[in-house]
Amino acid sequence: MKKIFALILALCMVFALAACGAQGGSAKPEEKTNEEIVLKLWCIATESDANRPAYLQAIADYEAAHPGIKIEMEAFENESYKTKIKAAMMGGDTEDLPDIFFSWSGAFLGEFVNAGRAQCLDENFKAYADKIPESMLSTTTYEGKHYGVPTTFNIVAMYANMDMLAEVGWDHVPQTYEDLCACCDALVAAGKIPFGCAGMETWCVTEYLEPIIIKSIGYEALDKIFAGEATWNDPDIAKSVDTLQDMIKKGYFDPNGAALGNDETKANFLAGKTAFYQNGSWNTGEVAGASFKSGVGLFPLMNASRSSYNQTIGGPSDVLAVCSASKNVDAASKAAVELGKEICHYNFLNAVGMPAWAVDYDTSSLSPLMVEIGKLVNSCEGLVLFGDTAMAADPAQVYLSYVDQVYGCAIDGEGFVAGLTKDLG
Amino acid sequence: MQRMYSKKVYILLFLLPALILFCGVLIAPIGASAYFSLFDWNGFGAKVFVGFNNYKELFTSNAIGFMKALRNSLLLAALSVFLQLPLALGLALTLGKKIRGERLFLSIYFMPVLISTVVIGQLWLKIYNPDYGVLNVFLRSIGLEKWAKIWLGTKETALGAVFVPTLWQYVGYHMLLLYAGVKSVPPELREAAMLDGATDGQVNRYIVLPYIKPIIRISVIFAVTGSLKSFDLIYVLTNGGPLHSTEVPSTLMINMLFLRNRYGMGSTIAVMLIVLCFGFALLISAIFREEK
Repeated sequence: MKKIFALILALCMVFALAACGAQGGSAKPEEKTNEEIVLKLWCIATESDANRPAYLQAIADYEAAHPGIKIEMEAFENESYKTKIKAAMMGGDTEDLPDIFFSWSGAFLGEFVNAGRAQCLDENFKAYADKIPESMLSTTTYEGKHYGVPTTFNIVAMYANMDMLAEVGWDHVPQTYEDLCACCDALVAAGKIPFGCAGMETWCVTEYLEPIIIKSIGYEALDKIFAGEATWNDPDIAKSVDTLQDMIKKGYFDPNGAALGNDETKANFLAGKTAFYQNGSWNTGEVAGASFKSGVGLFPLMNASRSSYNQTIGGPSDVLAVCSASKNVDAASKAAVELGKEICHYNFLNAVGMPAWAVDYDTSSLSPLMVEIGKLVNSCEGLVLFGDTAMAADPAQVYLSYVDQVYGCAIDGEGFVAGLTKDLG
Repeated sequence: MQRMYSKKVYILLFLLPALILFCGVLIAPIGASAYFSLFDWNGFGAKVFVGFNNYKELFTSNAIGFMKALRNSLLLAALSVFLQLPLALGLALTLGKKIRGERLFLSIYFMPVLISTVVIGQLWLKIYNPDYGVLNVFLRSIGLEKWAKIWLGTKETALGAVFVPTLWQYVGYHMLLLYAGVKSVPPELREAAMLDGATDGQVNRYIVLPYIKPIIRISVIFAVTGSLKSFDLIYVLTNGGPLHSTEVPSTLMINMLFLRNRYGMGSTIAVMLIVLCFGFALLISAIFREEK
């Protein structure tokens, strides 16, 4: 009986193995006949991300225009994506790597370029020379070679709920610091909260601090500091920190913001709980769709001898790059450039960002708020890329750690400058 | 002899898959971490051998803040041992007395262990929300407005606020371990003590507790090593903030590995975690052995 049972078991195993073999064997002819190229695209355009419609539309257009190429998009939450893409790149197993991946420009992409993980796109950009100005590629150019395709161009904008401002007697977005303080004082006196800032996500705090710094020391000085070519030891930077903390202490910021993420803070602004929201211009579509009358401006000028009102933080920070280990690196490179261009196109029309690429399409449907942002960008006299994007990973985290302490009022301006000068030079 | 020899071969053959798995999944990564901890490496480019510099920096640099993270973990371990385990033991002893609804209570207390940590994190994020969170709403409703706080946003309250759900989640786990121990106490021992006039408390003190001491030891080891390794709930609730007040070695390790691209330093923290967990496990075993 045992022998019969063993024989049956052995036969089962043989058949199981044979079945496995058959599956592998039948796959070969399929590979030959099916020439479809599947390109894996990793990005942060999740369901709640304003960029998602542009990604989906651009992919649909590309697939329709290129039969035989399928783009498989996988989206991850912003913060976890930073871990995900780095872990995948460190692992280096081509099966686990995407063909095309979203990246932040500056030092973030630079790390992949230095490690030889990103593909040079110079050849692919040749056909698009008249479609994108060289300045838009500056943050993804390393040793004279282009590695990233901008999907948008953004600045830090100060959005305002004009209905709330009207309630305290303001009919325009304050242009000077004195006006801003007077407006905020009036809001506080009326029991309203002027600003919301997500303390749980330090990059949101930099969206408040960096505009104050650039309006105090000018874009050239700040650019050099972020690039590690100048010291943080500047008394006007200390003053900028003190200005932000002064605003916090005067009650201009939602005290609950320390425990909130960006989504909740933005939701509070859109729900009319705060009067201002200073963040990237990628929020324009959502702000324009809010139930209140919206306005937009830049943070006021702090030091006219070193800066001007039309200097701000921003640039083409969001890009697509191609993994050099991709099995279909040529197809991926071609697709990345075209997708980047089209995502930028749809993002602009959806009021999610300014165009990094030349505008050769109808823009009559743009919202008035987007037109306002466009005016701000056109009048821009100097731009500096977001600090945590411009700096390499390690110094960026040190910097963010100090920004965190500023928002928590654990250190003052002098402490901020002294600490960063000591740790980063 | 030949039979013996062939038996040993069989033993080796049968053990080999598990041995390979053990070495491949546990020993090799530990070895790799120890190796990488000797380098200054960003995970992509060339490695620079720095010897034990990473270890030196780990314990001396304020910018990294490992000592603070370790202190937080040890505080969590102390709370686990002196708060969570007595609570779990109390529940296990109560349920072990064959009370009515024993199985129902057992399931209820064990439920948090079964729920995903991310779900628990989201749940407690809502409870602690300064605007609409149940905790602040409750405090305001009973007139304790002053006690309503930004629980996860201020460094004075964040650590405590993170510890509460961490301890709450695993009370049921330890309770189940101890409950199994309580149930394994032979009824005749209890009956004999009762016949001699022992009270419930005395039975627990002199019969049950000594009997389940090996399980208590295991629970203490799990509680301490679990606290040292704690990561997921803290990551979801505060990610080590505000101002690093809830930082633990694991969140620091992730920060070093993936945000600061300091793969060597991240590996150093991983090695220190392994050493600490083994060290504490041995220390706890030694303490229990001495008591025996």
